[in-house]
Parts: sequence; structure tokens; C-alpha cells
Amino acid sequence: MKTPRLSPQTLRVLERFIERPTAWRYGYELSRETGLKSGTLYPILMRLAKYSLLETKWVTTEDGVPPRHTYRLTPNGIELVRATFANSRVGLKVRRPAFSGGRA
Amino acid sequence: MIPVEFPRRLATLLLRFAIWIAPHDTHDWGHGMLSELNHVEGNWSAFLWSLGGAGVLAKRAILAVILPGSHRRTVSSASELFAKELPVRKTMLAVIASCVAASLLFFLVPVFRQAFQVSLAQWHDVFHAKLSFGYPTRDLELDALAKKAEQNRDAEALAFAAVRYPNAIQRERLANEAVHLDPNLTWLYAVAGTAYLSPSEIDRRVSVLKQWDPGNALPHLFAAQKIGATVTYSKEFPLGKLEENPAWEKEMDAAFQSPKLDNYLDRQKQLDHRVLSRYRLDDPFQAVSGEDWYGFPNYGVGECSLYARLLLESGKSLESRGDRKAAFEKYWVVARFGQMMGDGAGFIFIMRKNMKEAYTRLGALSQMEGNNGAAAFYAALADQFDKAADKQRLLFRNRFQGSDVSHWNAFLVRLSGLLMLFCAALLLLCALGIVVRSRPFRLSSLHPSRLTLALGFSAAIGALISSAVLFVSYWPYSELLQRFLSKGDDAQLFELSAFLRDTQLPFGSQFNLGPGSWYVASWSVVFYFWFAVTILCALALLVAVFRHFQTRPRTSAAA
Repeated sequence: MKTPRLSPQTLRVLERFIERPTAWRYGYELSRETGLKSGTLYPILMRLAKYSLLETKWVTTEDGVPPRHTYRLTPNGIELVRATFANSRVGLKVRRPAFSGGRA
Repeated sequence: MIPVEFPRRLATLLLRFAIWIAPHDTHDWGHGMLSELNHVEGNWSAFLWSLGGAGVLAKRAILAVILPGSHRRTVSSASELFAKELPVRKTMLAVIASCVAASLLFFLVPVFRQAFQVSLAQWHDVFHAKLSFGYPTRDLELDALAKKAEQNRDAEALAFAAVRYPNAIQRERLANEAVHLDPNLTWLYAVAGTAYLSPSEIDRRVSVLKQWDPGNALPHLFAAQKIGATVTYSKEFPLGKLEENPAWEKEMDAAFQSPKLDNYLDRQKQLDHRVLSRYRLDDPFQAVSGEDWYGFPNYGVGECSLYARLLLESGKSLESRGDRKAAFEKYWVVARFGQMMGDGAGFIFIMRKNMKEAYTRLGALSQMEGNNGAAAFYAALADQFDKAADKQRLLFRNRFQGSDVSHWNAFLVRLSGLLMLFCAALLLLCALGIVVRSRPFRLSSLHPSRLTLALGFSAAIGALISSAVLFVSYWPYSELLQRFLSKGDDAQLFELSAFLRDTQLPFGSQFNLGPGSWYVASWSVVFYFWFAVTILCALALLVAVFRHFQTRPRTSAAA
């Protein structure tokens, strides 16, 4: 299976998804949690969806408010993310502060 | 004041437009970003959200144009989708057609055609960079005029061309022919100056001028200038020892003793006006080609200053020896020659210090002689010099550097001319794109994509606005030109000259000697232009090769 390039920003998004793998997430919610702007976040989501690692769905929240586009990892996506984080511990590296003196 | 909701509304509009131009397979994502906009806190945050999203969609739209295979439509029938959007597309096409027609209508107005030609002047250096370093280029209009003048044996037109002709040999030939046809035009030898002429030709012209206008100091100054140019750097008379050359001293003495100093520039202006009117020439660059130097001396300026200084030193020497009368004569010669030069550029840049000193010495000598009235008069003249010089300097700065208004108008003309070309190129590309994409060509099958339509729409609007700006910016200068051509009114011609000088600079370069002046050489702009063209051509080639390999039919393994 072809996989997308896992940039630090992509890993940050995947981390958010893997925290609650079955939950559907909103774009703005992800943007706030990861600190990524829309111009960075959406290309990542689009790329993940292209590789079938992400599924999308329109949901109606309340009357009078337009439906929202939601996202969650596919089983393939969950498997890949878990394998990636388990093998390379990249998730921890990403979380490490820039000037932590070598300690996580 | 901006309404609070304005950024959010703008954000919605921006995102809707981006969705409209985006390829079909990204519409869901675009609508997703749009729906999230309702939940973004803060109006400016919503705008930034929309800006980022619109950027993503626009990038996809551009990629879809370059690599069409990567963004296929998912709708079953394109014609069905087109039918739904038909009113919008029809409206946009109508707007595009109207704007293009309106822009083209501008060309029916002669002033606009002239303005457009002026806006093209900035490209001269870009395409003639090699020729512009000291080698003036040919002017087809001037060629035609010279040819016509020779056929008609029109001395005035020949003189007009002779002053402007870029080729020195041709210039010399035309000037001689004009003077031969009409000896009253002998002054042409003085206006044309001595640049690029052989020493023997200068001698001949000086001799003719001396005979034609015996009381004028100008031929003597030309002769002195020639001696200065040919003798100063020889071993016999090293630099700075020009004053030891008796021939030079003789010519300068004759010049300073002459009863008048006429540089014939008024005659030239009158002739320019007559020829421009007679031949119906409305090229503004030809009309003002002599304007830059009107008022500036066309003879050796350094010689005058040097000889005036020599006279002053000689006067002081005589004064110290007690010969006040002879000293007075020397100072008076300097003051009188300065007065003959008038209060123009020569006065400011060459003779001001010398004249002030001459008047001061004349005042002092008068005081010594007990002539208090004359002493007070000369002292007052000397005191007024600095103020008068400052005033004249300011006038000349405005005249030769141009006002802020002319700089701005020239900038607008250059910018709008550039935008017109850009918009026209974009429109042409859009039209070509539509035709190429709908092969085999059938008028009924011409369905522009949304991005093409948006680009065409922007280009058409841009072309119309830039045409209007070009017309409005140039209009006042066409009035100045018409005033000169029809009535010979040259009062504001310097303003036109300064404006035209700026319009010839390639966009991005600047030559401004005003306060806080800065200089960007036109050759560096030309270099960056061709560098960018090379890079863009290389990129276009890469994309073409990439597309070729992407879209070529693949042979099966079995075959």
C-alpha cells in the first residue's frame, strides 16, 4: 500500500486522530488542537483521504446550521499510524519541546 | 470605518469563489472549509481561515490546468453541469466581451494611441540593451522625414532631422545640406554643437559662423572649446595649462569682448514648431528632443569659467600694482559677459561665483575712488546673487528633474501600459486554451472552464481599467504637446520633457535626483527581466515534457 509522506505536521494531525480513533473530527477543531492553519491542514487531510487513510462524512448538527464535513481514520489509517508510532517513536519526537536539553 | 461583519462576509465570498474555480474533485473539501467558517471564532480569524483555504483550492485549480489528468471530473455529464451554470457563464462572457470591446474602442482616440506608444517606450532598453550603450538607435519616423525633406529640398525639415539624427555622419551631411539650401540656417552649426565632428569640420563651421554672425561670442567659444579638446591633453600643454595657449587665449578674449552671446536656441524652437506642424508630426519624443538642453549652453562651459577666473586674477594683480583703471576693466569684462549669459543655467553653474567676485571687486574699487553711489550699487548686485542663484537653482531642479506629479503620472503610464500588455496576453492565452482543449475545433463545443472564465474575466476588467488609467494619466501631457504644436506655446514643455524622460525607464528602474534620491539602473532591470523570461521558458518546457509523457498512449505489455 502506498503511503503519504509523513511530515511533522502530518504526524501532528495523525496523533490527534489516534487519540480517539473512532470519533469523527471537524476541520476547525483539528486546526485548533494542532495549531495548523487551514492552508496547511487541508492539504494534509486531502492527501490522507487520497491514500484511503481517512474517510469523510457530512453531518447535520443543528437546525439552520449548514452540515459540517467530518473526518476520521479508516481501519487502514489506524493500522498505519499505530505501526508508524510504534516502530519509530516519531510521535514522542514530535512532542518533545525544541529546547528540552535532550530529555523528552 | 469597516463594518464588524465585513471580514467574515469577505471570507465567505472568497471561499465561494475559490470553490467555483476549483476542480470538481475538491468541491467537497471546499464546502467543508466553508461550513467550518460558521464555527471559527472572530471575524478576522474567519478571514484568515478562508484565505488559507482559498489558497489551497486555487493551487489545485492551477495544477488542474497544468496537469489536467490529475483532476478528472466526477460528474456524469459535463453538458448537464454546463446547462445549470449557463446564465452565469453567459453573463461573464458578456462582461468579458464588453470590457475587451471598450478597451479596443480606446484605440480609436488618437490621444490614447499616442499614450499607448509612450507606454511602450519603457521596452526600448529591454529589447535594445546592446545598442543603448552609447550607440543611439535608428528612428524610423525620423528616417522617413529626412528622406522626404531631401526629396522636397526642404531646408527646415533637413535642419530638424540634422539636430536629432542619431548617426553622426548623416547628421553632418544633413546639416551641411540644410545650410547649403538656406544660408539663413547657418545657426544650425551652432545648435548642432561640435560633438563627433572632425577638427577640420569644426574649423570650417566656426569660420562660417564668424562670417555669418560677426558680433556673436559663440563661434569664438566653439573655437576655444576645440582647442581645449585637442590641445589640453597633449604633452605640450598638460592638463591645467590651457591658459598658456595663445590661440585659446585669443579666442576667449574675442568671445568676452563680443557685443552679444546668442546660442540660437530660440530659433531652433521656432523651427521645431514649424516643422512639426507642417509635417503633422505628433510624436512627443521628437517634439521635446531638444527641450532637455534648452537653456543650457551648447558651448564649452569650463572654458568660460577658467577665462573669467584668469581675468579676475589679472585684475587683482593690476590692483595690487596700483593700476585701478585697468583692474576695473578686467572685472567689468567678467561682469558684462556674465550678464550676456543671462540668468539661465550658465549663470548658475558657470559664472555665478566669478560674477559675484567681479561685482564685489568693482564695488571695492568704486569705494576707493570715492564713488559711493556706484559702490553701493555693485555691493547690492553682489548681495543679490546668492538669493537669485538659489531661486534659479530651484527652478532648474523642477525643470530638469521633473515635478512629483510628472513622476507619478509617468509611473502610472508605465504601469498601466504594462498591465494592458499582461491582460491582453492573458486573454489570448485563455482563448488559445479554450480552442486547444476543444479539439476538433467547433464553435458549439467551446466551453471554457471555470478557471479560464475567471482568468479571462479578471484580464478583461484589468485591461479596461488600465486603458482608462493610461488615458487619464497621459491626457494633460497631450494637451501640453498640442499647445506647442498648434500655438507654439512652449511654457510647460519642460514638464512634458520630464514626464517623457521617466516613461522611457524600464519599469522597476528609477533615476531621480530629488531629495532622498535613489537609483536603480535600467540595465539591471533588463537583466532581471531576461533572467525571469529564461526561467519561465525552462519551466514551461519542463511542464510540456511532463504532460507529453503523462498523456501519451501507453502500449500494453503484450503488444
